[in-house]
Formats: sequence, structure tokens, C-alpha cells
Amino acid sequence: MRKKFVISGLLAGAVLAAMGGLVLAQDTSGQERLAGMRRLSEGEYRNTIRDIFGASITVQGRFEPERRIAGLLASSTTLLSITPSGLDGYLRIGDSIAAQVVDEKNRPRTVPCTPRAAKAADSACAAEALSQFGLALFRRPLTAEELKIRVALADKIAADTGNFHNGLRYALSSLLASPDFLFRKERAVPVDGGKSWTLEPYSRATRLSYLLWHSTPDVALLAAAASGELATEAGVAKQVDRLMASPRLEKGMEAFYSDYLELDRGGDISKDATIYPKYNDAVAQGARNETMRVMLELTLRQKGDFRDLMTTRKTYINRALAPIYGVPFNFDGEWMPHEFSEKDGRSGLLTHISTLSLFSHPGRSSPTNRGVAVVDILMCQPIPQPPGDIDFSLINDASNPKLKTVRQRLSAHATEKTCASCHNRSDPIGLSLEHFDSIGAWRDLDNGEKIDATATLGGQSFDGAVGLGKVLRDNPRFPQCFARKMFAYGTGGNTIAVTPNTYNSFLNTFINDGYRVPGLIRAVATSPQFFQVPAPVSVQASNQKT
Amino acid sequence: MSLSRRFLLRGMTHSSLAVMSLPFLDCFLNENGTALAATGKPIPTRFGTYFWGCGLTKALFMPASVGANYQDTPQLASLKPFKGKMNLLTGFRAFVDEKPNIQHWSGNAAIATGNAPANDREFAGETLDMTIAGAIAKGSRYKSIEVACSGNRNESFSSLGGRNTNPPEVSPIGLYNRLFGAGFQDPSNADWKPDPHVMLQQSVLSVVTEDRQKLMASVGAADKARLEQYFTSVRELEQGLAAELSRPEMIADVKIPASPEEMIVNKAVPNLLKVTPIMARLLAIGLATNQTRVFNMSFCEPASTMYQPGDSYPFHQATHEEPVDEALGYQPITSKFSEYCMQGLASVLAELDGIREGDGTLLDHSLLLAYTDTSNAKLHAIDGIPMVLAGGANGKIKTGLHVAGGGTTVSRVGLTVQQAMGFLLDSWGTQSNQTNRPISEIVI
Repeated sequence: MRKKFVISGLLAGAVLAAMGGLVLAQDTSGQERLAGMRRLSEGEYRNTIRDIFGASITVQGRFEPERRIAGLLASSTTLLSITPSGLDGYLRIGDSIAAQVVDEKNRPRTVPCTPRAAKAADSACAAEALSQFGLALFRRPLTAEELKIRVALADKIAADTGNFHNGLRYALSSLLASPDFLFRKERAVPVDGGKSWTLEPYSRATRLSYLLWHSTPDVALLAAAASGELATEAGVAKQVDRLMASPRLEKGMEAFYSDYLELDRGGDISKDATIYPKYNDAVAQGARNETMRVMLELTLRQKGDFRDLMTTRKTYINRALAPIYGVPFNFDGEWMPHEFSEKDGRSGLLTHISTLSLFSHPGRSSPTNRGVAVVDILMCQPIPQPPGDIDFSLINDASNPKLKTVRQRLSAHATEKTCASCHNRSDPIGLSLEHFDSIGAWRDLDNGEKIDATATLGGQSFDGAVGLGKVLRDNPRFPQCFARKMFAYGTGGNTIAVTPNTYNSFLNTFINDGYRVPGLIRAVATSPQFFQVPAPVSVQASNQKT
Repeated sequence: MSLSRRFLLRGMTHSSLAVMSLPFLDCFLNENGTALAATGKPIPTRFGTYFWGCGLTKALFMPASVGANYQDTPQLASLKPFKGKMNLLTGFRAFVDEKPNIQHWSGNAAIATGNAPANDREFAGETLDMTIAGAIAKGSRYKSIEVACSGNRNESFSSLGGRNTNPPEVSPIGLYNRLFGAGFQDPSNADWKPDPHVMLQQSVLSVVTEDRQKLMASVGAADKARLEQYFTSVRELEQGLAAELSRPEMIADVKIPASPEEMIVNKAVPNLLKVTPIMARLLAIGLATNQTRVFNMSFCEPASTMYQPGDSYPFHQATHEEPVDEALGYQPITSKFSEYCMQGLASVLAELDGIREGDGTLLDHSLLLAYTDTSNAKLHAIDGIPMVLAGGANGKIKTGLHVAGGGTTVSRVGLTVQQAMGFLLDSWGTQSNQTNRPISEIVI
């Protein structure tokens, strides 16, 4: 019974058959070059293993973390490598996976052949199993050499230990520890006589699959790579439509949204329990979940106007979040649909518990952090670090009777020229959110003073989160930044380096389509620039020589 | 079908296993020839770092005099029991030359690499601990162990260069499992024998390295460096596995403890002060049983957001926003946080000093560099970053002194450390941080 064996199993055999053998014609053109490598993230790794070997395989261990670059963790995957301590983690995780894949319970489902004798080596069965595992894990067929050495390992261990599956286990372990699995290798071929370079079909399949499904290519996508279908525009469009029609698109976008809104950081936030006794892990998890539900519902299920994320009053509340929102929870299920009233002063993502608590201090709100986050995350306008050698306490002296509230203290920045250039961009935004405390609950007073949430930004005056939401919704940088980040997320590039030349075409589609996200996803994934890469360095060097 | 020579030489069965202890390197021996009570072998020198954020309060920690018998100061009160076993290093400066002073980064990165970084959260080279581990890790199970007491997965200052840092253990249980969980066999067990699984894992890594040359061809420089780092990691893991094939050296008379209980690990001061000694004890036992010879512990990150429950000012925020109390002459809340950082350090020293081995303690046979990102965090100043160098390094370092650097480069500390660890090195650092002057006052 191999029904659940999603990629390998019998169907992967079909892919291999379609290619006329086990060996990849990797360098038929002789021109293929490695154009980049992206380290698999923890989420990608987990989904990949689940989709290849089934959900019953547990993945447990320590992963190397990514680093956020220009707003995205994904952008660091093209720069990071694997440390000794990180590889130790991957080796352990891989070994535990391999042991589970070949154990007696899973074997009938996961190993595609039965050895002639369970206590001896069987090269043919090992080769069949390993070529299928290899295709799934390396996202391309193994080369003859790669397969040969692993079959040899499997045979030797099987003979030495008198156990075929033991041999298979360690050979599979070697696939899972390989850089060809742990990194998504992106290979490119020249087009237009070498004027530009584009990804070859297997690398295209991989880029598409991790963007749209947050996981490894499935059988049909690998087959489309093998047949050359993915080398054509029509072939790409057909596969993109197929991937987008799947419910798994939500998993893909969930990963992107989490990176985009930095929701991964929620788990690391500490709140001071003596000041905020209502805040706990259930709130942190619930808050992330709420935001994701709103994002997926509005953008994918309702296919609504993306910009409404700044203004919508519709949300979902669970039992942990209800007391912080001050909403009675009377609902049978886990997540209660809720629409705030106009008087509640809430406005879209800006006033979710997730975002308000993320960009605050443990025991107090932070107008500057909130303002910087809005400008940086939603507008792609990173604010530089404050200059060195500034004595902040001069403008933060709470004992000064003129500087009692945060607003008064921050206003002092405006009089300092070096501070003003940046603080004038961030602080008005953050001050308009001051009605919400460090965990996102409403408050009328700060330090005993009535809160003034009015602000002026770029000549526009507004009041509170509702006013801010309207201003941001109508700012063209908001959808533009989102489109750039989606592209950078998908390609592993740096958002700031995604220029109009690259984004204009799919941004225009997004605008003309009424800011509907599915249209943007399709436009990004089918654009030629999504697969375009700079000429590999070795080629640039040889061009210079000639 | 042919396998490489290397692959076959390994052998993979029980029967072909040769149990062999790896000798300690001569250069890391105690000159006095102190021997292990149990085995008669010399005691190796271990190295550790302790990082804390946001510096110290000059008015509260700086002794008025230098040399021996320097004055006790309030912020260093918790370190008093170890005064004779440590040196206080003040007045050393991190130079950035044409590069910017990257706030809460340039100072500590320069101390760790001898080289001012060009970009935030990037190291301009390998960190000191990795260089040292590269030379002394042979024969131990792990090249190094990293620990973040605040539970932050990104909090590690150990790197082979660039943005990559060695991921830390972020809970006592995680650290326990790494050191004494699956794959660890108590060396005091009478029937200790190597785990055949280790040899099979060696053969797995062997296969992985087979493709190395093919992978290295036609790769751009940046990706080539990343692949090199990957293969360096493979080699180091191979060394670790090789070490697992022989019974770990029981350097001291320690018992392997039971697994610690589940506890909250976060940035609240009471939790930090509870978790740190537990992490330190596990590390100390890990050193004593030769699971590793190098560790890196972070108490709190640069620009630390640690907080005291009930007080709305987190540490970093306080350094910048809290006014200097005119009567006291310093920032009271900020300076309290710095005191906690020193309490954390004291608890690490206590654990190292609490394990007896040979004629002294684990601390006597170790060298621990405690350092931070700034001197006066309020101004992001990187001249006069305070450091503590603890432990006698097996008789290579004279202790009990306060040394003032007089504005000379922080690299002098790194150079001294490496020389004490046995490196034949006469110069370290780049540009203005380059130096050939070790801290002669403390070198024996």
C-alpha cells in the first residue's frame, strides 16, 4: 500500500521512466551553471519530509535559524550556510527520519520494493528505493555516481549487519545530510545567446513549489520539469494554475504572510506578567492565528481588495483573546467571527493584538517601534539606526514637568535636527496607536494623562488608528511594497533590490485587477523575471577574459 | 562499483573497531605537568566566553587603582569570591577605522574577531572561540557548545565568519539532551563500549563528502564559501564522531546529573538568574567529561531587552532613556541590570570553580573571557569596554589583577588569550586593531 507516498512511490517511478532511465541528463547543453543556493528553512524542511514520507514521520531537533534581511527571513536563505553545530542537528534529524522511514511499521508504505532476502544486500531494490528517495529529496534525479555510491553503502551495511533495511537507512541518511537536499540548488542556462540566464526546469519547479506550497515539488511538477514543459511559458502557466487551484496554496501564502508581517517573532516576545497578567502563550499563539485567519480570509477566500487589510473591522477572536479585546466570548466553536463597531477604534491589522504586542516593550507601548515597523514592513522604507553619541536621556527625562507623556518626550525629537529626519516619519504613526497598550488592549489614559492620538503625516492630519488605517490604505507604497516582498520572498532576493524594472509588470496587474492577491501571485509566478538570474560569476569572469 | 579508499578504511562492523584514545596536544599541557588523578594524563585547558549586553556603569565598577589588590567596587561585588582567580580588563578600545560604529555590535564583534565589522550582525572573520576550538576540540565530542540563557534562538556570538552563527541551546533541558541525552554513554559505566551507530554515521558523512569536488566546480565565489563552510562542518562532525568511539575522559570526579526540570526561559531577570547557574553546571560537567572543550554562553544580547517584572523599563531602553541621577552620578535602573549581568557571570565562575580536578579546579584549568558590546551603552561608546578574563589557563595566566589598557586595542585581549591557549601567534587583528602586544602583566 503506497497510496500516501506522495512523491516517490510508484508515481516517481513513472517520472523516471518518462526520462528514460535513472540518470539525469544534467549537462546535456554543457552550459548549466549553479546560480544560487537557498538553505531550506525549518518550515520548508518539515513540510518537505511530510509530503515525501507522510505525516506519521516525526521531525524533531534543532534547526539553524534564519536572519531577517530587509524585512524577510527568506532573503537570508541565499546567504547562510551550515555551521558545525547546525550540521550536528541536521544529521540527527535526518538519521531519525531515515530510521522511521525504513522501520517495519512504515516500510510497506514508504519503501517501494521488497528485498529478495531481508537479511542480505539487494542492490536492485536499494537502487530502486534510493533513486526514488533521491528524486524527491534532491528535487531532481540522482546522477549515476550519486546513486552508485549510496547503493554501495547500503549493500555494505546490509551485508555487515545482516539487515537490508539497515543499509537503506544509512544510505537515506546520506541523502538527508547532503548539501543537495539541505540547500535548494538553483541551476541556470543561458538564453538569447548568453545575454541573460534563466533557471532550468527542475530549479523552476522548486522555486514555484516552495513559493506556492511552502514545500517540495510534487510528482506532476517534477514530471513537468522532466518533460521540458516548465521550460516554456505555457507550461509554467499551466503548472502555476494547477498549484494555485490546490488548497495547499493557503499553506504557501501562510508562510509568506508570516515572514512578511514578522509573525514568527511572536513566540520570542516576553511580556511583563506583573503588568499584563492576561498575556500568556495562549494569547501569543492566538494572536498570530487571528492575524493569519484575517489575511487568508480576506486575500484568498474572499479574494478581496488587499488594501482593506488596513481598515477592515472584521476578525476572528478565540477565548484567550476575547478578554484583551474586551469582547464577550459566547460562541460554540473555537474561533468566533467578530466585527468591531466603529466606536471601538480598531482598524485592520494595525490594531491586532499580534502587531501591537510585537512592536512594544515588555511593560509599555512603543510609538517609535510601532512607527518604524509600519514604515519598514508595510512601506518598504527602512529607517536607519539612530546616530551614535546621542544622549537620549536629555529628551527622555520623565522628571521634567514638560515631558510627562510619551508624546511630549517624543515631540522633543522634532526640535533636534539629527533626530527629526527619522522620528518625524515614525513617531506620528506610533503616536496615533497610543490608545493601545503593550498587549493591544484599549486604554484612555497614559501615565494619568488623557491620550492624544492625533497625528500629521506627509501633510495629512488624522486621528487614531482608524485615521491611520485610511491613510495607509490609500498610500500606493503599501501594495507596491507587498508585491516587491512577494517577489523577494519567492526568489530569495533582497526586497530593496527589487526595482521598478522588475516589479512594474506584476504590480500593474495587481492594480488593474483590483488589488486581488491571487492575481498578483499568478503574475509574479508566471513572469519571466521570476526565473531570471544574473549570469553566474564563473561565466562573467570568462566573458571578461575574452 | 568502487568505493573510495577513505570510505573502506573506515570499516563498519563491530569487529573492526579499534578503541584508541587520542592524545592531548603537547602545547595545551599544564607546564607543571599536573596529572589527572584517575588516569595519570595531563589536564587539558578549556576555553569559554560569557557575553552580556550594554556594558557596565563606570562610576560603580571601575576600581581607582590598577594591579593587584585593587579596590572592591559595588557592581563587581558578586565577583569578589573569585577576585584572586580573575583579571579585570578596562580601558581597551575597539577601533572601527573607516567603518561605522554599528551600535551594539562593532565593539563585541571587534573583540571576538580582532576586526571591526562592516555590517550589522556580521562578523568580519572567525570568532576567537572557533579558532581555539579548531585547535583543541580534537578528541572531544563537540567542537563547541553555545548557550543562550534568555531562550533566544538567535542569540549566539560564535561564528566561522559572516552572518552564520552557531545555533545555541536555549533551555536547560535542551542543553542536557545535547550533552547527556541520546548518544551519550556514562564513561563511568564498567561495560562502556562504543556505539556501532557512530561508525555508520561516519560512513554517511563519508558519502556526503564524495561529491565535494564536483560541487565545488562552477560555483560563484559567495556560494563556494558557503559550501566550504558546509564541508568544514562535515569535517568537524567527523572528528566529533571519531571521539565518540573511545571512552570519554573523566577528567574530574563528577556524576552525570538527572535531567533538569522544565522551566520558563525568557528575559525576565529572576528567570535569567535561575537558568544561568543550571546551564553553567551542565556546561561544567560537559567540560569535565570531555564532551566539549569550548563553550560560549550569552547571558543577554547586545541592546538587551531583559526586564525586571513590574518595572516597565527594559535594560536597553533604560540605558538610553533613564536620566543620570544627579545626586548619585549614574543611572540607577540601568546600573542594576549591569549588576545582574555580573551575578550571572559569578554563577558561571562558581560552577567552574566547584569542580575539582587534579590539584585544582576546573576554573584553574580554564580560560573564560567575559565581554560586552559597549562601555557606556547610553552613548554606544566602544572605548573602555570592560572585560573579565577568568581562570588560570593551567598556569599560563597570572590572576588577581586589574589591567588598564590605556586606549590600546581590544585585540590585545584576543592575542593574549590565544597565546595562553598555546598558539604560536605573534600578531592578531586588522587595521588599527592589529597588535603584537599581549597583555604582559598577566602572561606567565
